[in-house]
Amino acid sequence: MNLKKYLSLTRNGIMESLQFRLSMFIVFVGNLLYLIVVYFLWKAIYASSGEEVVNGMTFSDTLIYLVLATALFNFMEMYTVWQMGRAIQSGAIVLTLLKPMEIRRYMFWEYSGNFVVNFFATLLPTFIVVSVVTHGAIPLGLNLLYFVISVVMAVIINYNIDFFVGTICLYTESIWGINIMKQVIVLLLSGATIPIAFFPETIRTIVYWLPFQSIYNSPLTLLLGKSSDIKDVGIVLGTQLVWVAVTYAISKLFWKISLPQITVNGG
Amino acid sequence: MAPVIDIKNVTKEFKVLNRREGLAGSIKDLFSRDYKTVRAVDNITMSIEQGEIVGYLGPNGAGKSTTIKMMTGVLEPTSGEILVNGKLPYKNRSKNAQNIGVVFGQRSQLWWALPLVESFRLLKDIYQISDEDYDGMMKLYQSLVDIEPLLHKPVRQMSLGQRTLSDILAAFLHNPKIVFLDEPTIGLDVSMKAKIRTLIHALNKEKNTTVILTTHDMGDVDALCRRIVIIDKGKMLYDNDISHLKGFFGSYRTLKIRVGGDLKKEAEVIGKEFPALKVEADDEWISILVDEDKITVMEVLTKLQKMRRVRDMQLEEISTEDVIKKIYEEGVE
Repeated sequence: MNLKKYLSLTRNGIMESLQFRLSMFIVFVGNLLYLIVVYFLWKAIYASSGEEVVNGMTFSDTLIYLVLATALFNFMEMYTVWQMGRAIQSGAIVLTLLKPMEIRRYMFWEYSGNFVVNFFATLLPTFIVVSVVTHGAIPLGLNLLYFVISVVMAVIINYNIDFFVGTICLYTESIWGINIMKQVIVLLLSGATIPIAFFPETIRTIVYWLPFQSIYNSPLTLLLGKSSDIKDVGIVLGTQLVWVAVTYAISKLFWKISLPQITVNGG
Repeated sequence: MAPVIDIKNVTKEFKVLNRREGLAGSIKDLFSRDYKTVRAVDNITMSIEQGEIVGYLGPNGAGKSTTIKMMTGVLEPTSGEILVNGKLPYKNRSKNAQNIGVVFGQRSQLWWALPLVESFRLLKDIYQISDEDYDGMMKLYQSLVDIEPLLHKPVRQMSLGQRTLSDILAAFLHNPKIVFLDEPTIGLDVSMKAKIRTLIHALNKEKNTTVILTTHDMGDVDALCRRIVIIDKGKMLYDNDISHLKGFFGSYRTLKIRVGGDLKKEAEVIGKEFPALKVEADDEWISILVDEDKITVMEVLTKLQKMRRVRDMQLEEISTEDVIKKIYEEGVE
């Protein structure tokens, strides 16, 4: 494998992403607003419950979790479905198909520069702010290493799901509805908008058997060190690894089956 | 030498949903299984040698882009066989990609927000071009066009002409065996067109690159192509030298005259006088297409002068455009 061509894509991605300074600022403001809403919403929830601890989480536990989940969302969201949908509709996908590189790889690495930018622009600052403000809600130890490994796998799972959903656009030729549906499902079932601890028992069990919780819940659980036991860590990372393999295989297979939509039907 | 592109009896069909009109029709369409088959390319055979520039012509919707997409490997033929560099392109798309370059009309493969040179550097890495080859290519580009100011300009700030030029340079960068140019001069001004033609010509000469060019601009064809292929409604109408085509229709000349009165009406009168000739009128001229094997222009003119006072006249050789128009309308025979 020639790594240079991938890093070259990353490099261009970083430069392109840095061109849009204003958009980074607007994303920042938008997140701030979202977090203010989250703050008051959960404050109200805790106030109405009349208890300090709900479902094993205090108010600050929940808030820290959701702040980090939001930062993680901004870091990981790749808008692959949009990209693919638009490329399919406009026919520009032909140019990507004609690169001497597999399209899944090309699109991933084409975006990868944004990971670098978003890491320094949102993830790391949020992390530091949360760390400082809460005086140690985030333990600084081995859990950081687990977190990094977990995020890498989460990114891959997320991309595989996105690519799968993007492939559906080959059949529907529309993007909007599919993308919204995907986003709602992923954000809800991954624990990005509501901590999974708040789900009713049965739904929680179902969610644990789905790949989505491996995207947000797993890395955050490892980061916040709720289970420092090496066996628990192993289970979380192991589950993610299984989902990496399964989602990769499924999305790759689905693309292979669906490609004739272009090559036979002309897209 | 084996041809670089070999197309044998290739047909491409698409299944298209029969759409109904109106809101009720749109709702019915949701459940419709009523497909019709459209034959975009119908039994085409041709072979192209290394280093040729082939003009691939036809009206809109004739099947030009479909053929090109089959040659690049994006589309799979319904029947027949295409070999590019001896391989089936749609089965070896990524490998084939290494040997071809493409420019699809208005679509750009360049990085929008970045200076051109960054797109080139990326192409250098993904096509694994060696430093030597890359530098050599840049030197060649520099000798052909003034590329230096373009290199440091973000693509989104370029004019359409500069962007097209850049896209063509990007397509040639990895020194592919074949470059497909799908309407490269569309929407460009005259001087830019000339620049791009010179560039394509020089690159073809220098690197012996095979160029397949689709265009509606006869200027492109006259300037670049020795061989042209014409297709309409998916069927191949013509595949030969451009000079042969001109010879074929060489005995035709267009006589243009101006007379007093309403030109449309006058044209009708003249048309009746010469039933064998094609007479058309626009705002300024009455054009008469004369086949000199049957009647000479002088004879026509003498007759006309007896009918009306001819105020002005012009004689035009038939242009490639007319030839193709004639083929579209009547076929080669």
